[in-house]
Amino acid sequence: MVAAGYVFYVAVLAAGYYYNLTFVQLGIIDLGTRLVGSTASQVSGAMAGFAVAALVVAVVAGRMMDRVGWSSHLRVKLRILFFVVVGQTLLTVTAPLVGTPAPFIVWVLVCSVTLGVGMPVTFSLMIDFIPIRHRGGIAAVVAGLAFFAAAVYPLQWRLEEFAPVMSALMAPAVVVMAVLAFRRLRMVEVWSRQHERFGVGRFVRGAEPRAIRFAFWISVVLMFSVFFIDSLGFLRIIDTPVFIYTSWQSPELGVRLFIGASHVLGAAMAGVLYTVFGRRWLFLWILGLFAFTHLLYTFQLGTAPSGIEPPLSLPFFYVLAVSFYTTLNFALWPDMSTPANIGIRTGLGVGIAGWLASFLSTSLALYSRDIGLSLLEHLRYVNALALLLAVGYPVAIYLRRMRRLVRAGSVS
Amino acid sequence: MSLTLIPLLIAALLLTSGDPGVDTVQLIMFGEHEVTEHVGALIVGDSTVTIPSDARVPGPVYVIGGELRVAGEVAGDVTQLAGTVRVEAGAAIVGELQHVAGTLTVDSDAVIGLRTSLDLTGSGSAAPGSGLLPGLSLTVLLVGVGYLLAWRRPIALANVSTAARAHPVVTLTVGALAFLTVISILVFMAFTLVLIPITVLGLIAGLLTLGYGLIGWGHLIGTFLAIRRRGSATALGVVVLVAVLSLVSLVPVVGDLVVAALILSGVGAVLVTYYGVAAFRPEPLPD
Repeated sequence: MVAAGYVFYVAVLAAGYYYNLTFVQLGIIDLGTRLVGSTASQVSGAMAGFAVAALVVAVVAGRMMDRVGWSSHLRVKLRILFFVVVGQTLLTVTAPLVGTPAPFIVWVLVCSVTLGVGMPVTFSLMIDFIPIRHRGGIAAVVAGLAFFAAAVYPLQWRLEEFAPVMSALMAPAVVVMAVLAFRRLRMVEVWSRQHERFGVGRFVRGAEPRAIRFAFWISVVLMFSVFFIDSLGFLRIIDTPVFIYTSWQSPELGVRLFIGASHVLGAAMAGVLYTVFGRRWLFLWILGLFAFTHLLYTFQLGTAPSGIEPPLSLPFFYVLAVSFYTTLNFALWPDMSTPANIGIRTGLGVGIAGWLASFLSTSLALYSRDIGLSLLEHLRYVNALALLLAVGYPVAIYLRRMRRLVRAGSVS
Repeated sequence: MSLTLIPLLIAALLLTSGDPGVDTVQLIMFGEHEVTEHVGALIVGDSTVTIPSDARVPGPVYVIGGELRVAGEVAGDVTQLAGTVRVEAGAAIVGELQHVAGTLTVDSDAVIGLRTSLDLTGSGSAAPGSGLLPGLSLTVLLVGVGYLLAWRRPIALANVSTAARAHPVVTLTVGALAFLTVISILVFMAFTLVLIPITVLGLIAGLLTLGYGLIGWGHLIGTFLAIRRRGSATALGVVVLVAVLSLVSLVPVVGDLVVAALILSGVGAVLVTYYGVAAFRPEPLPD
């Protein structure tokens, strides 16, 4: 039954993240710009609104879950998740029918509400299913599966391609969720008591509340920065045919399999590093990898003649960095929470760091494209930000350690 | 890019940096290309590059893989470190055509300013079995260093071997990640030409780390051998390790993967123990 819980958790999170990666992040842009016919600036405005709405809903939902006690009540969480999946299925089916700006705005708002509610519910499931020792590994499996599937299929990032895949995935998911949420199953009874044993996260055990709060907000800021850098660069990279058709959307299956396998490799590495070394080392690697990746892209753009096919090492390092931080994102928030506050912590963590950062940077990337900023100029800004963080983070750690030593009176 | 090209690429960049007349480098790594004009040095990687009969390129040209077909004229030198070079009838290399390794075909009607050859492979008139010499020398070096380390720094070596044995997944992950990023950063630094000395230092440090990791594995094998003296046990362990790796590498694909995993795991073990200074202890987790 415990193993079945692992499988259920991985299936829910991997499918949910695949939905987010493909249908939400890329599908909404396609829906707004191509099917509805809005300008890039209008879509970027809608995306920013989407992000803010999703964040507000996630925080309110998370706070409510903690207050009412639903955060540690698995059956209630499964019921909420059932309604979220039903809502998202309806949104998926109706998406191709949206043809004008007004229904598009309504559609985006409803989508943000379902995602906002879904965020704290799904991310908090980790305390019900996965013991602390296995969180890094399981987070790696979720990230690896979602990214591998997204890299291999579908080839065309168009709403008409995404919608049938999602609908086919969601129809059986609705049935399974209904059975688990509304039938009295012994398996669910066992699962619902597991948080008593491993619900208290790894980074909050034995730590002072003030130190936990500080560590949590630092993690939020770092994750926000990482998501922001990723989306800011990625949206413009995939907009450039010489980069996208030789990597993520290559007509050659072998190249897409390479991208998918690199994601799996990166996630596996991140899972091991998270389990053995903790979050600090992983943050250092993530920031370093992003800085190096953007250095590679700007170097390629600045030196290679136009039209020259870039080497696969460019997307390789990119996907490595992305898999690293995604794995961390799945495991980090539950490990910084207890069953009493996991709702608000995951709502804030995933909402601010994930959604707000991605969508703000996505709208900024669309805006930069709209005002005619070249890819090289755009990536120089991204690179500067990545380098600043890669250098600033270890310096901040070092200075903090020095401050502690000074306060402890070590200076003679 | 093939990993085997990396040392040759760095060697070519090193040679380029010593040429005062060269301030830019063009590297062609993939596909088929016809070069009619270019500025600075040209490096031919995993690609087919043709200089057509009516073209004149300045050079120098370095061939580290793939194929270079010269039908026109190269005003400078051509250095072949690997791959294939074909100089066709009517073609001209005004400078020096230096052959180090690879397949070289020169038509009798081609004009070559100066033709030299530098044999580093030990082929030709070398004695039978001399091809094994580099491997044997390396083994002897590892055995000697392993003996000394086991004698003078037994705890450091024990820390490395214990990390590799007790935490193979962790050490393999750290080793693979360090290898992938460090090798890419070194290549990237080599492209700046100014940082080539740092690249060379980095490569040396990397090779030393790799050797230390192998000695760590040898030390581990030595603990299972019925030899009381630590130094001798480690030395023999290194010999056994090299023999096993040589045998395993004969198996296609899987053998290479196993060898790579062992080497990278050794590198990871060296890194997580800070070169043997401290025993590796993962962060404690609640059960």
